[in-house]
Amino acid sequence: MDALIIETVVKAIVVLLVISALAGFGTYLERKVLAFMQRRLGPMHVGPFGLLQILADGIKLFTKEDIVPQHANRLIFMVAPAITAATAFIALAAVPLFPEFTLFGYTIRPIVADLNVGILFVLGAMASGLYGPLLAGMAQANKWGIIGSARTAILFLSYEVVTGLSILAPIMIVGSLSLIDFNNAQAGGIGDWMVWQQPVAFVLFLIAGFAETNRTPFDLLEHEAEVISGYATEYSGMRWGMFFIGEYANMITISFVASLVFVGGFNPIGFIPGFLAIILKVSFFFFLMLWVRASWPHVRPDQLMWLCWKVLMPITIVNILITGIVLL
Amino acid sequence: MSSKEITVKIDGKECKSVEGEYILNVARANNIFIPAICYLTRCSPTLACRICLVEADGKRVYACNAKVKDGMEVTVTNEEILQERRAIMKVYDVNHPLQCGVCDQSGECELQNYTLELAVDSQSYAIPDTIRQNKNWSDVLHYDAGLCIVCERCVTVCKDMIGDSAIKTGPRGGEALPKEAKDTMPKDAYAMWNKLQKSIIVPSNGTDFTDCSDCGECTAVCPVGALVSRDFVYKSNAWELKRIPATCAHCSSGCQIYYETKHTSISDPTEKIYRVTNEWNYVSLCGAGRFGYDFENRVQGKDEEAFALALKAFNTAQSIKFNSAITNEEAFMLQRLKEKLGIKLINHDAKAFKDFLTSYAKASGKGLYGGDLKEVMKSDFVISVGASLRNDNPNARYAFNHVQKMNKGAGLYFHPVGDTLVSTFGKSVEIFTHQVGQEELALYLILDLFANKERLDDETKEYLASFHRHEKRIVKEKIMEEVSQSVTDKATGETKEVIKKVPKTIEKEIEVQINGLVEMLGGNDTFYENFEKMKSKKESFSLIIGEDLYYHPHSHNLSRLVALIEEVCGMSLVMIPPRTNSLGVAMICDLDEEESGYVIGYNEHGHFRLSSRGFSKLDIPALNQQEGTFTNINKRVVPTNAALDYHGYELNDILNALGIGMRQTIDFTPQLGRIEGFKSENFDDLPNGYTNAGEELRGYALEVIETNKEEIKVVKFDESIVINEGEIAYRCNPQRQFNDFTDRSSQINEEFGAYVSPSKAKELSEEIEVIFDQEQSFKLKVIVDDRMQGDIIAIPDYKSYQNIYGVFGRDRYKKVTIKKV
Amino acid sequence: MSLEKFKDRNIGNQNYTLIGHEAFPQTGGEKFERVMKRMLKGELFVGLWVTLRTMFQALFKGEMHTTKYPFEKLPISPRYRAIHEMLRLLESGHYRCIGCGLCEQICISDCIRMDTRYDENQRKEVSEYTINFGRCIFCGYCAEVCPELAIVHGSRYETSSEQRASFSLFEDMLTPIDTLKHQKEYPGFGAVSPNADENIKKTPLAY
Repeated sequence: MDALIIETVVKAIVVLLVISALAGFGTYLERKVLAFMQRRLGPMHVGPFGLLQILADGIKLFTKEDIVPQHANRLIFMVAPAITAATAFIALAAVPLFPEFTLFGYTIRPIVADLNVGILFVLGAMASGLYGPLLAGMAQANKWGIIGSARTAILFLSYEVVTGLSILAPIMIVGSLSLIDFNNAQAGGIGDWMVWQQPVAFVLFLIAGFAETNRTPFDLLEHEAEVISGYATEYSGMRWGMFFIGEYANMITISFVASLVFVGGFNPIGFIPGFLAIILKVSFFFFLMLWVRASWPHVRPDQLMWLCWKVLMPITIVNILITGIVLL
Repeated sequence: MSSKEITVKIDGKECKSVEGEYILNVARANNIFIPAICYLTRCSPTLACRICLVEADGKRVYACNAKVKDGMEVTVTNEEILQERRAIMKVYDVNHPLQCGVCDQSGECELQNYTLELAVDSQSYAIPDTIRQNKNWSDVLHYDAGLCIVCERCVTVCKDMIGDSAIKTGPRGGEALPKEAKDTMPKDAYAMWNKLQKSIIVPSNGTDFTDCSDCGECTAVCPVGALVSRDFVYKSNAWELKRIPATCAHCSSGCQIYYETKHTSISDPTEKIYRVTNEWNYVSLCGAGRFGYDFENRVQGKDEEAFALALKAFNTAQSIKFNSAITNEEAFMLQRLKEKLGIKLINHDAKAFKDFLTSYAKASGKGLYGGDLKEVMKSDFVISVGASLRNDNPNARYAFNHVQKMNKGAGLYFHPVGDTLVSTFGKSVEIFTHQVGQEELALYLILDLFANKERLDDETKEYLASFHRHEKRIVKEKIMEEVSQSVTDKATGETKEVIKKVPKTIEKEIEVQINGLVEMLGGNDTFYENFEKMKSKKESFSLIIGEDLYYHPHSHNLSRLVALIEEVCGMSLVMIPPRTNSLGVAMICDLDEEESGYVIGYNEHGHFRLSSRGFSKLDIPALNQQEGTFTNINKRVVPTNAALDYHGYELNDILNALGIGMRQTIDFTPQLGRIEGFKSENFDDLPNGYTNAGEELRGYALEVIETNKEEIKVVKFDESIVINEGEIAYRCNPQRQFNDFTDRSSQINEEFGAYVSPSKAKELSEEIEVIFDQEQSFKLKVIVDDRMQGDIIAIPDYKSYQNIYGVFGRDRYKKVTIKKV
Repeated sequence: MSLEKFKDRNIGNQNYTLIGHEAFPQTGGEKFERVMKRMLKGELFVGLWVTLRTMFQALFKGEMHTTKYPFEKLPISPRYRAIHEMLRLLESGHYRCIGCGLCEQICISDCIRMDTRYDENQRKEVSEYTINFGRCIFCGYCAEVCPELAIVHGSRYETSSEQRASFSLFEDMLTPIDTLKHQKEYPGFGAVSPNADENIKKTPLAY
């Protein structure tokens, strides 16, 4: 039992550190990719190829003055970013990141907690991330913040439905809520990938995932041209940085979930070992998010709702029905 | 001088004029443009430029020297005339350096204007250029011969207005014109070019330096940038300068001027006067007016401590001593101080003048003299008595000269100090270098020569007659004697009687009429003969009297004599006020004789000094920092504006603190109307300029008040006041010095010293001590004035702190002892 | 044309014509149809393709457009109007400015000031000359009006400095005498046109 606790704590710390480092690295990647797609160079001057830009930004964020507006609800204002960051990492707890491997004769399963309701936990934790932007926007006594948080509420609540329903069909096929089971169900190579059985669910999950992570084309809650910075308007320094880390951590989580559920997880593909396979897949999904941001304009709030309730949700339900009928 | 009204048509426009007027002047008066470069309104036509060519009744004439006739029809421009003018402008442009970028005329250039006006867009003439050197003619004159177009305006103005005749045209040394030019070029253009190519302007004394009064009028009239004052060369472009219409503060002429100001330098944004310009067609300035402009009193701010002291001084003072270099408004304020606080007003120069005027008014029945300098300029016989014409009032001198040059007039000049310049004004000028104190005799002589004898009372008639006597004299006379000769023609061998005329001198005894007055005044023997010529065909007479008469032991009698002359000789009379605004002060202020108690010196010596000169307890603005009016010699109240700002206190502030001031100094201008003769006009309504016809629109003219006329009783001449032995000092300023302001000006460099004639200078050492009878003495540098004659030394009074007026008292001539140092 | 048309501020009622625009979907069905059409038509993927292609071109075909500004600078047009330069005469090395004051006069932001004087060689000398770059709007009138091509706009566009006084004195703007050999006859803003000779009348200056 003690060993389990120690192992879990160590895993948690490792995940926390690695993923937050990756989140930082994500910002670098995002800037680079967007730059290339616009024929620019992106960050270049801090370190080789601008790699140390993350460090510079980190120093900047840590050393910036922490400003709390006069009429803000101080406690909630200060806690809200932590909620966003925390929920993003908590969601990762139930995600198996890599295949099992052996280190110093000790078999390590790279998952913090293998819950039997893993997928449900992930979705639930991510959904509770809603509180971060919502509370932040409402606590800061700023009209843009209020609008931002209102948008957050409708966006998250609406697309939660799509996410949940779209992933229901794969769950029905696999018959388990554990993400490891999902992975194992697709162990038979590329042909076994869930995406071939459930293409519609895959597309819908991706669309909903974009919305869950506030990515373009659904970044309405902090869209500069309309609401300054939405819920993050009054934030500065590290508190604002935590929203960022949360967002990038969420992006990684969604990428992992999508890889695990739909495209074969960490099963090796031919000569490619499992851990490399999942890194490639996650990288692709992460890149896709940046790519989409570089290519597409964002939608209007009314289009967003219309899309969710009148297009995506009916399609998911139809998909579930068809899946159910086929399974029967 | 006929003044028959006639009508002429110029380009179809009916113009009214008087006979004898030039076409150009008529056109200008009626706002019709006739191009002309060399003509100056008040001077004689030069005919140098020839572009004023017009067609009058079908004939080609030059508008500047053709007189209008009744019913004349003038065409200003037709195709041929235009061709001619264009050719002339092309000629002017030949070899004219393209230095317009640096030229000081900076676009206010008549050459440029007419070249463009006549649409000269190409050049068809050429000739090798001649090297022409830049020269500095004097301390103030800079001549860039390269830019000169030899229009001779400078020469004309120097001769006809100023009287110095210091410059003339000289040889240029240019190449002869191309031979074919004479046949191919328009006639006038060729003639003009021929002259232009041969001449250049040079000082007329044959040296490289002019011998003149440095008035700078030549720089004003120059149509191009050839003649510029030395301190202005390449200093500023004309367009940057702000023109402030004003009145010259230096002498009683009160000439119209413009102060032209600009920031001092890049690093110093305070305004500075860069030059003085004038309407040179209608008014001529002297050297003081043109170059004595930087006399402003720069103060840092309001010195409250000094002001408090000044208030205290005004509350305790019994007298205020001041001079007449002040505005009418200041004089009015001082008078107000006298009325409210009972302070005595002491003013040396105005007091004597006022006394003279009062006494004159009693005798003549008029508050003011009848004429003005403009009338003098129109007259053809001018007499000056008791004025050092060259120094006392330059405009009076210009008028005297103008009469000789323009009106073919004659002149008499009575003054104890000989002057070599006046005799050069014209052939018909007689100079009387009389003894000091004989001014009454001079006036008697005038009476004798000009008076309508029937209007004189018997006593005076007899008195005048008593000077006449007959004398027999042997005169040598040249006659032509007819001599018959027999001449043999060699060719034919015939002998002929030929009558030839041979000159022969014979002696003849004739009886001549001798006028004892002429003898006593030191006139020439030939005066009587000359005078007949001088007086013949003359129609209008004028008399200029000067300061000598006001500061004269018998000034009372002199004033009555002057009134008598004005009445019985039909002369237009002008009195030269001693200082800038002496006339105004004399009319406005109630002056007291003697100072007493605690004295405030207002620009003068005193226990408490207020001065615009600096070095005083409280600073007050100088006259180029003040708004206000002057009363000038022409009996006009003329406005002047502040050219530079002033941050300190002024007299009105003191009056305000004493509870008798107005909001602004110029609020006193309408108040002047309370004084007889003045009008109640707001300062801002007073114009300051001239019309195209030369009509003076400046301020307003004083009304001459009628007073009770008493019978004029004149007293016989009293021999005893004549000073004819020993050294005599004469209170007289050098040419360009008038007051503390000229003294302060950086370009007026005449020093304070004893001015003597060249012959006298030989007797004296470089520095002398002049001792007056009250045992006051001055150590003075001896300065030679080439134009002075005789033994009298002139001591300037322009430095108020030297208190020369106080030393001389009510005299202008003093017996002194001179010691060599 | 009367002004009434311009004074009609009833925006939205103008008769605009939409060009190449399909009819707006009215019913829900139509809207759904349009969404499906657009989704299946792959327009979205065209966008993705464009950005991806651009990225590859930028990375591998050298079509990167970034200039690393302080280290690399793009060549600028000779007609660009940056910090002024005072040129010298190519032959004598004397500065060209004759002190005519036209630049001072024409300057619409009143930022040029000069002091001139009569120098020992009987020429007009510019004793002081400043341009207040805090006020200069780089309109180029001074260069255009200069009769001597003495003041021109140079290519030094980095105008930030620690002091406002920088660049503003005559000496700072004047071509240093040691670099005179690099000075070329200035072709840029304010220079005479190449065909200037054709546009002037020649005068007979045979001598």
